Amino acid sequence: MSAAQSVPASALPVLRAENLSKRFGGLNAVQNVSFTHYAGEILAVIGPNGAGKTTLLNLLSGVYRPSTGRLWLQEQDITNAPMERRCHAGLGRAFQIVRPFPEMTVHENVTVGALFGQRGIRLPQAREQAYDLLERTGLAAHADRAAHELTLLQDKRLEVARALATQPRVLLLDEVMAGLRPAEAQEAVELVRGIRDSGISILFIEHIMPVVRDLADRVVVMDQGQVLAEGTYREVTANPQVVAAYLGTEAGLHA
Amino acid sequence: MDLFLQTLLNGLLQSGIYALVASGLALSVGVVGIVNFAHGEFLMIGAFLAWAASASLGIDPLLSLPVVALAVFGVGALTYRVSIRHVLLAPELNQMLLTFGLGILLQNLALMLLGGNTRTVSTPYQASSLQLGALTVGGPKAVAFAFALALLGTLYFVLYRTTLGRQMRAVAQNRRGAQLIGINVDRVYMLAFGVSCGLAAVAGVLVSVLLFASPTVGLVFALKAFAIIVMAGLGNLTGVLWASVLLGVSEALVQTYVPGGGGWSDAVFFLMIFGTLVLRSFRGNR
Amino acid sequence: MSAVSARPVPARRPTFAWRALLALGIFFVLALAFPFLPLGDRREFLLQIGFFTLVAGIMALSWDLLARSGQVSLAHAAFYGLGAYGYALLLKAGVPWGAAMPLAALTAGFVSLLLGGVTMRLSGMYFAIATLAFTEVVRTVIQNLPESVAGGANGLLVPALLGGNSRGQYLLALALLLLTVGVSLAVRLSKLHHAFAAIRQGEETARVLGVNVVRYKLAAFFLSSVLAALAGVLYAGKTFFISPLDTFSLANSISPLTTSIFGGLYTTLGPILGATVLRVAEELLHNTVKNGYLVVYGLVLMLSILWLPRGIVGLWRRGRQGGDL
Repeated sequence: MSAAQSVPASALPVLRAENLSKRFGGLNAVQNVSFTHYAGEILAVIGPNGAGKTTLLNLLSGVYRPSTGRLWLQEQDITNAPMERRCHAGLGRAFQIVRPFPEMTVHENVTVGALFGQRGIRLPQAREQAYDLLERTGLAAHADRAAHELTLLQDKRLEVARALATQPRVLLLDEVMAGLRPAEAQEAVELVRGIRDSGISILFIEHIMPVVRDLADRVVVMDQGQVLAEGTYREVTANPQVVAAYLGTEAGLHA
Repeated sequence: MDLFLQTLLNGLLQSGIYALVASGLALSVGVVGIVNFAHGEFLMIGAFLAWAASASLGIDPLLSLPVVALAVFGVGALTYRVSIRHVLLAPELNQMLLTFGLGILLQNLALMLLGGNTRTVSTPYQASSLQLGALTVGGPKAVAFAFALALLGTLYFVLYRTTLGRQMRAVAQNRRGAQLIGINVDRVYMLAFGVSCGLAAVAGVLVSVLLFASPTVGLVFALKAFAIIVMAGLGNLTGVLWASVLLGVSEALVQTYVPGGGGWSDAVFFLMIFGTLVLRSFRGNR
Repeated sequence: MSAVSARPVPARRPTFAWRALLALGIFFVLALAFPFLPLGDRREFLLQIGFFTLVAGIMALSWDLLARSGQVSLAHAAFYGLGAYGYALLLKAGVPWGAAMPLAALTAGFVSLLLGGVTMRLSGMYFAIATLAFTEVVRTVIQNLPESVAGGANGLLVPALLGGNSRGQYLLALALLLLTVGVSLAVRLSKLHHAFAAIRQGEETARVLGVNVVRYKLAAFFLSSVLAALAGVLYAGKTFFISPLDTFSLANSISPLTTSIFGGLYTTLGPILGATVLRVAEELLHNTVKNGYLVVYGLVLMLSILWLPRGIVGLWRRGRQGGDL
């Protein structure tokens, strides 16, 4: 696929942000951010520390309401929708710091996602679906264990499985590779690809550049709350402005 | 106009005690990270000790005050060692319920041993008063206020000018960091919790003079202290002073100007706590 | 993978659930047999103890229902009191008791929705203090209403339930406890259980996963307060005299909380066992500890938190995670 055609012409937008801004007191954490996320696409958001990536993700997932701007999920305006409505509209999120329900078993954790993320589903059905997901994410053997007994990688799988259980159209991943060893990160990359191949669009924030290179169809680079560049991994890493923003971490960029 | 000034003055004098109780609670919340539901019961212990010293040995409460404060400091430190310390890492719910249980235990222990009667302490200056122009100040009230001010001054001096105080503030801000620079966090917790209880006891001694000692006298003060630290923002020590004055003065205004105050003033106060909490929860967030 | 069927969905290890159901069954059989035993000349007294044990069980289990959704409340005295006062006032207005009972309970349920609506965003100690303050507001309001309305500080006389028939009263209390247990088990086996547990263990995460937190928190409040109000109705009809200080006493919020924690939080069996043990202990100790009996509750609460955080039912399900039946 050539750089210019990184977005297939036939693709439909799933998530669309229009001039999103968020101010905290006098600080403009996110300023006029617009982007379109297409169906079936893996979109990465990168940028130096403090660029506003996490704030952006919180705006998308509903932790914050934007000061100005609009946000659409397919045809629905979800700018001011509470988190649970975003979930029902098809937005899933996995947290950077895993947050399993500690007193539940692994299976129960995923059941919650299946049960409340979809409308009109009954408990036995939700349990069944949850078990399917545990198999898909390689956690089936741990189904009956307490969630707080898992290793970090297993926790991250659980986090993803739980988000998938809500049957999202778009999955937001917040630095899910953080803290993983290289071999584990490779497994996680495979997992994310598998999710995309099942028809779910993925938007992720990531610091680890090799992961971005391997996974992302398209990259949005943020700096100081604004979008600095957008394009394929090759395009943005060749962009002198992006290199300047990472100031001296050029080596890291190309690692 | 005189009535208005008199009301303001009464409120201001009352706020000295509130500030003492609330500073103590703020210390335990801010430094140890524990909301001590038994805070009022340490006040109650202080009040009873002062009453006992006065009734059986004839010692003026203001003279027994240092001893009472030290004794309750010890009780507080001991309480930390045998109970609080074991739930520091437990869920907040467990911490809350533990101190809640302690409060129930202490309050009812007093009820069991001493009965529900109120005990008054009589002092020679009970009925004395000061005349400031058109305004009248009850002698005990003025003395209590002076004591409260002196103690608050000492507390803030300790917190901001001594090593122990700096350690306490360091621990309050960042426990892990304080540990890394070699502060004995456990010891600081114990001292802070002890001081917190000691401050409540001092307030209790003053309350025994101004009001009375009884098993349930602490509860209302503890709730007021809680309202104050919520108004001030958790762990904000200087905010505590202003919030205390605000509460004291507004209470005095309600008592003077709301007709049929008596029975309803409790409702007003609890409605205030309720309102403060609810409004805070809906503000700020996003 | 899609073609694979006949894959066993792991059932929760059922051992404890069966034992808990068995224990509940035994409890109800014994409780049902109790008023028909030859109790001798202390019959009235024993039936009264039995009655208040059942009331304590309803209170504790209904408190636990609310706690399951992460709302550790000190407002249970308010619902108890609203039930008692609602019942008394409805009777005074000429409503027959069979209708006054559910109406009083529904009134408390409605009030709980208002309370739950405004305390929605509070958690932990803030929630506890707010609910405590709420109880005091309700108490002072009832106390300060004109005496002709609700009896003021002097209280109200209430006609005895079922014409004062002790066995009948006991059986009514038993029926209402059975109802409470039924609600608790139904919640446990339904969607509500997952919603409550998720909210309790991570409210924001629950919302991200699509749990409508507002709806489920209010549902918990409603169920809990209706049942607590029924306990209040029983109390009013048994003691035939209610006053603001007794009915809205903080003790009525403390005992269900302590009972649930001591018996075993977030279970059906725990609060009932806790109520039985603590209530019987209270009667045994009553002559020794006259004033300040709550001292025992304070001590039990502290010791439970320090050494028995999962209550007495936790003793035979060590190492098992999650809220069992």
